[in-house]
This record gives sequence, C-alpha cells and structure tokens, in this order.
Amino acid sequence: MKRWIALLAVFVLVLAACTGDDDTAGDDGGATTTAGGGTETTAATETTAPGDGGESTTTVAQVADESLIETVTANGVLKCGTRDALPGFAVLDESGEHVGFDSDFCRVIAAAVLGDAEAVEHIDLETADRFTALQSGQIDVLVRNTTWTASRDGGEGATFMQPNFYDGQGMMVSADSGFASVSDMDGVIVCVAKGTTTEGNAAAEATRLGLNWEVRAFDDPNLIQEAFLAGQCDGWSSDVSQLVAVRSVYPDGPDALTILPEVFSKEPLAPAVRDGDTAWAQAVNWAILATIQAEEFGITSANVDDVLASSEDINILRFLGAEFETDSGTTVLDPGLGLPTDFAYQIVKQVGNYGEIFERHLAPLGLERGVNALWFDGGLLYAPPYR
Amino acid sequence: MTTRTAPAPALVWVRRHLFRSFWDGLMTVVFGGLGLYILFRLARFVFVTARWEIISTNLKLLMVGRWPDIHLPRISVTLVVLAALGGLVAGLIHARQVRAGTSAVEGMPLPARASDLGRRFGLLIGAVLLLLALTTTVGTWLTAAGFVVAGVVGRLAGARIGRDRLSRPVIILLTLVFIGVPAGMYLYLVDAVPLADWEGFFFNVSAAAAGIVLSFPLGVLLALGRRSRLPLLKTVSTVYIEVVRGAPLYVLLLLANVSLEFFVPASFSPSKPIRAIVTFTLFTAAYLAEIVRGGLQSVPRGQEEAAKALGLSPVKQMGLIILPQALRNVIPAQIGQFIALFKDTTLAGLGLGILELLGAAEAITQQPDFRGQGLIIESLAFVAFMFWVGSFTMSRESQRLERKLGVGTR
Repeated sequence: MKRWIALLAVFVLVLAACTGDDDTAGDDGGATTTAGGGTETTAATETTAPGDGGESTTTVAQVADESLIETVTANGVLKCGTRDALPGFAVLDESGEHVGFDSDFCRVIAAAVLGDAEAVEHIDLETADRFTALQSGQIDVLVRNTTWTASRDGGEGATFMQPNFYDGQGMMVSADSGFASVSDMDGVIVCVAKGTTTEGNAAAEATRLGLNWEVRAFDDPNLIQEAFLAGQCDGWSSDVSQLVAVRSVYPDGPDALTILPEVFSKEPLAPAVRDGDTAWAQAVNWAILATIQAEEFGITSANVDDVLASSEDINILRFLGAEFETDSGTTVLDPGLGLPTDFAYQIVKQVGNYGEIFERHLAPLGLERGVNALWFDGGLLYAPPYR
Repeated sequence: MTTRTAPAPALVWVRRHLFRSFWDGLMTVVFGGLGLYILFRLARFVFVTARWEIISTNLKLLMVGRWPDIHLPRISVTLVVLAALGGLVAGLIHARQVRAGTSAVEGMPLPARASDLGRRFGLLIGAVLLLLALTTTVGTWLTAAGFVVAGVVGRLAGARIGRDRLSRPVIILLTLVFIGVPAGMYLYLVDAVPLADWEGFFFNVSAAAAGIVLSFPLGVLLALGRRSRLPLLKTVSTVYIEVVRGAPLYVLLLLANVSLEFFVPASFSPSKPIRAIVTFTLFTAAYLAEIVRGGLQSVPRGQEEAAKALGLSPVKQMGLIILPQALRNVIPAQIGQFIALFKDTTLAGLGLGILELLGAAEAITQQPDFRGQGLIIESLAFVAFMFWVGSFTMSRESQRLERKLGVGTR
C-alpha cells in the first residue's frame, strides 16, 4: 500500500509540475483567492529587475524599453481592442469579419504603421476589461467606442487620442407620449444600458433638473428594446448615435420614436493607447488625424492617385509623402513620427478619408455629420497642419 | 342475460391513470391544458412566427466561427475518422457482450435494432438533419454521409475483430489506435488552424471533450490523494479541491483572462482556448474528485480485505477491485458533471472573449440586416436547442450505461 501511494504521490507531483506552466490560469484561481491581490505589483517589479536580459521582461518592462511602434512593426500585425455587437461601430458580418466605423479606424492605424489595412487582429473585449487589456499588453490600441474622461485618462493607465466621433447622451421617447423636452419628464421610468457612463449621467441629469426618474438598467440592448416595446419604459437614454441606430430599424417604424433635442452629456469617443509610450501615441494620433486632413484636402480613396499624379500643392504633396521642390532640391517630408512617409497615402487609398468612413458605416444608421463635420463646415474636426 | 362488454384497454388506462378521482381529473385537465397550450405556443413560434434567416445566414459563424473555408474539409475528415473510431468501440463492446451473453440487442430483428438506435440517437439525428436543411453546400451533406458510412464500417469491423478473445498484441494495437488517432486528428486540425482560432459550437464541443478527457484522470488522482495516508499529499489534494470548488467558474475564467499577463511575459502567454480548457479541466477535476471519493467510500470494506487476502499488490487492489466498482457506482454523478462542463463552456465567451456559440449568437443580433427586430429570441432558442440536444443525448446514454452495468441493482 505504501509503495502504491508513494508512486501516486510522484505521479501527482509530476502532473502538477507539467501543467504548471500553461496552467497558471487555474492556479491563479486557487492562489489569488488567498494571496493574489497583494502580490500583483511585487510580481511585476520582481520580473522587471532582471529585465536588462531582454527575454524575461514582462510587458510592464517592455513599455519602458521599447515602443509599441517597433513591436507592432516587428510582429507585422496590429492588435486592436474592439467589440462585436455595436451597430455602425463594430459588428460581425456573416463571415465573422469586423465591420464598422471603429473597425475601420483599426484598419486606418494598421495601414499607417504597417502599410496594410488588413494586418489587424480585432480582439473583442467586454466593457469591463477593456482597460485591463490595454495595460496588460493584450492589445496595442483600444478603439472601442470609449468616452475620453479625465479619470480614465488619469486613473486607467490610458492615453487618449484625437476623438474619432463626438457623441452625447440623449433621450428617446415614443412619438405619442407627448414629451417635447427632457424637462417635461417627471415621475418617469428611464431605461439605460448597464455598466456604462450612461446610467450615472441619467441620474445626474434628473437631479440637475429636479426631476424624479427611476433609472432602470439592462444588460443587453436587445432587452431594452423588448422592455420599451412592452411599455415598461417611458424614456430610453443612450448615446445619440445609438438612439438613432435603434430608431432607424424600430419594428413600429422610425416615426414611432422621437429623439428629444437635449443632449445632456459630452461623449468624445476616442481611441486610446497605454500610458508612457509617447512614440506610439504620436503615431496612432497622426494616423487618425490624417483621415481628417485628407477630407480637408478633399482627397478620397477614389481620387488619391490622381491627386498624387497631378497636384502642385506643396501641402498635399508633403501630406501624401510625395517628392516636392525646395530651395535645396527635391525632398520628401519625414516628420519623424516613426511612420512610413507615405502613411497618409496608404490610409486614404486602403480605407478612405474621415467622410468616407462616416458615410460607409454611420450614415446608413441615419446619423448626420453634425458636430462631426469639418471645422470649416461648422463641426469640431480640425487637424493640425502636416508640415 | 346481459353481458357487460369490457371497455377498450385505452379507456381503462385513461381512467386508471388520469381520471381516478375528481381531484385527479381536475389535475389532468388543468395541467394537461396548460401543457398543450405551452406546446401549441412553442410549435407556433418554431414553425410560424420565428424568423430563422438569422440562423441560416450565420450558420457557419455559429458552428465553426471564422474557420477558413479552405480548411473546412479538415473538420469533415476529422468527424468521419472519429465516427469510424466510435463505431469500432461500439463494435468491440458489442462483441464482448455477445461473448459474455449480456448483449441486449443480439438476436433482435433488424427493425427492432433500428428502432433501438432511433430511440438512442433519434434526437441527435433529427438535429443534424435540421442543420443540414439550413445549409446550402454539398460538403456538409457529404460529411454527414461519410460519418454514417464510417460509423457503420467501424461498427462491423469492431464486431468482427472482437468475435474471438483479443490477443495481447491486438489489445496493445487497439489502445495505440484509440490514443493515437484522436491525437493525430488534433494535430491535423491545428496544422491548418491554430487552437487559438477555434470558435463557434466547434469550440464548445472541443473544449468540453478536452475538459472531460483531461479532468477525469486528474479527478481520480485527486480523490486518491485525498484518501491517502501521506499527510502532504492529503493536504495538497484537500486544499486544492476545497479552494477550486469554493470559487465560481466564471471568476476563475476571468482570472485566467486578465491576471495572467501580469505574471508571465506576453510572449509566453497561452492562447485563450488553452486558458479556457485548462480552467475547465482544473475546475471539473476538483468536482470529479469529490464524486469519485464518494464512489470509493461506497465500496464495502470487505472488497479491499478480500483483495488483500488474495495477495494482490496495493496497485492491483485499487486498480482491479476497488476503483472499477467505485467508478461504476458514481456514473450518474460523473456524467452530470460532464454535462455541466459542456454547458459551462459558454462562460468562456463572456469570461475570455472567445467567440463561442452563445457569444456569436448574441453578436449576430446586431448585424445591419437583423438588428432591432427582437431576433435575440430566435438566436438564444437556437443556442439552447443545440446544448439541449447534446446534453440530453449524453444523459440518455449514461442511463443506458447504468442499466447495462447494473448500477443500483447489485
């Protein structure tokens, strides 16, 4: 009996050792319940110490050593944090491809850095763990309909880029409800999606206006619509882009719903990168700005080759990475962003300018350009000069 | 002279079982009516009101995720090969039962055997036919046909091989085949599509299968470890079992997802499906360990004493006498745990962001063609149906196994 048990002991230990490496998943489950919380930071610093060796560095150490712009270029693929079920911004088509406004901005960044818009690995994230994924290095950039706020900038280890969409929270009601303004709505039930800034904004707005709202939160947008259809909600509050999207395919027709004129929060939706990697942040930021700049110049995916061949405008030639004349001969502008000099050309050629991306994904939802128009059209989009 | 004609047997049955007393009758009417109403609504939903285009359009995404089209034949080949292997096992078991004289189907006329098979797998066959009806390609039909043919060929071959007592080389060869072929098929699949990209229902089934195969030995070892007299082994096993059983599976999956990166370099980090499978294995093993421990305790002490009296070594005592009886006694609980694991694979979608069946079913409701139409109901109904078919078939087969092994009657 003893021998058998000793044999068994050895076997169990060997098994435990074998699974040890790739098993940390489950081991964590066991270990962290007792000690995990406290050891997290020390584990990171411990592994950073021998970091000079190179190989054994954690992702935390890599941030300090090497910019993601080099890592991404070396890997040849951009890991873009996104989602799979937000109409207009990122949904899966029937072959499982990511389609949408945010998905195209992932492609914009890939086209800029790698010269190939399709060199993207779209990684679907839950709302709750999007920042963790960014910090841990699971993704290179987060383009997931994320509102830029001060506490996220400060507290989540994220650095926000040029917003690619200015949204705001609004209120939608039944057309026959008689409400013409948010301030008419007293003693009503307002339905929102759970786990976003929407819930808190709605409560704050009710307090500000001195109204009595019961805010009801739902896990799934499908469920809000069911509740709304069943008459369980007087108002439906969400980002206006989403309200417009819902309204356009509402079972009783778009006219059955009214979106009230008030917009009671600012939701600049911006891509984000990890704190502390300035080189990468600049590259990503200029990739986004290039879509705006291209629209300012009137360059589209259709005419970019013609413009490149025929344009005499030195600003456009600089922007597209073409040769232009200076006093000291012909040259190409390399502003030192770490991007290929023709990155803007690649973006426009392969994905399109801002207006094209908007028309492709958001206009079909029924969204107007509004504040997302160019500055000279009365919008907020303004790219710093490329020179 | 009047003769009372005996009422029809059906009428007798109805009166005896459904309308024995007034209250009996009331219950029958109320619950029967309710049942019929629910059935009616269900049938109306399935056949009339439901719009299944969302499922048929996205069938590939739901079943295998983004598996590249050019590599789909590899899945077909794997299914056919596994069918042959399954048939072989069934044939060998059948032959063994024939030799032992315990076969339930030997000597049954062919129609009776067919109806027996229909009872066992009818639901599964029906579900597969339903799926095939939704597909538009020939490949799926060919796969199904190949599956059936391979299964039958394997079954016949197994029965032929097992007709006589198996010699030792044949047993060794068969063991190698049963280990080598599934391993080979796995390598054949990951050669084309890495495990990291396994998605859809294919992921749910693969993860459940891997979890079941891997957690079983680990669970048995843990159970033995917990009963061991070595204090260290006993403590380690006990602590492991109690800690893992004390944490919700979803929490473990979330930890596997987010916390790993902080401890190991990103370049070493295993892919999400591996994290999921490892977590499922470790979790299920802890539960299995307790189930097996219960089984070990249910074996009378006399069995061990008798084994000792025969002069068997400790390994043989456990391996030949105690463990087989212990495992047989807890088949229902084990299968129950495996069914739970199969269904729990949907948690990997939320916890790890894997596009498994449930995740895909939710994502497709936001597609431009389908959003805003309340199709989440069709989508979830499809998911529920797929899991029900799998779980119910497993449960039926486990009952059959229990009957065969005489659990609860000996």
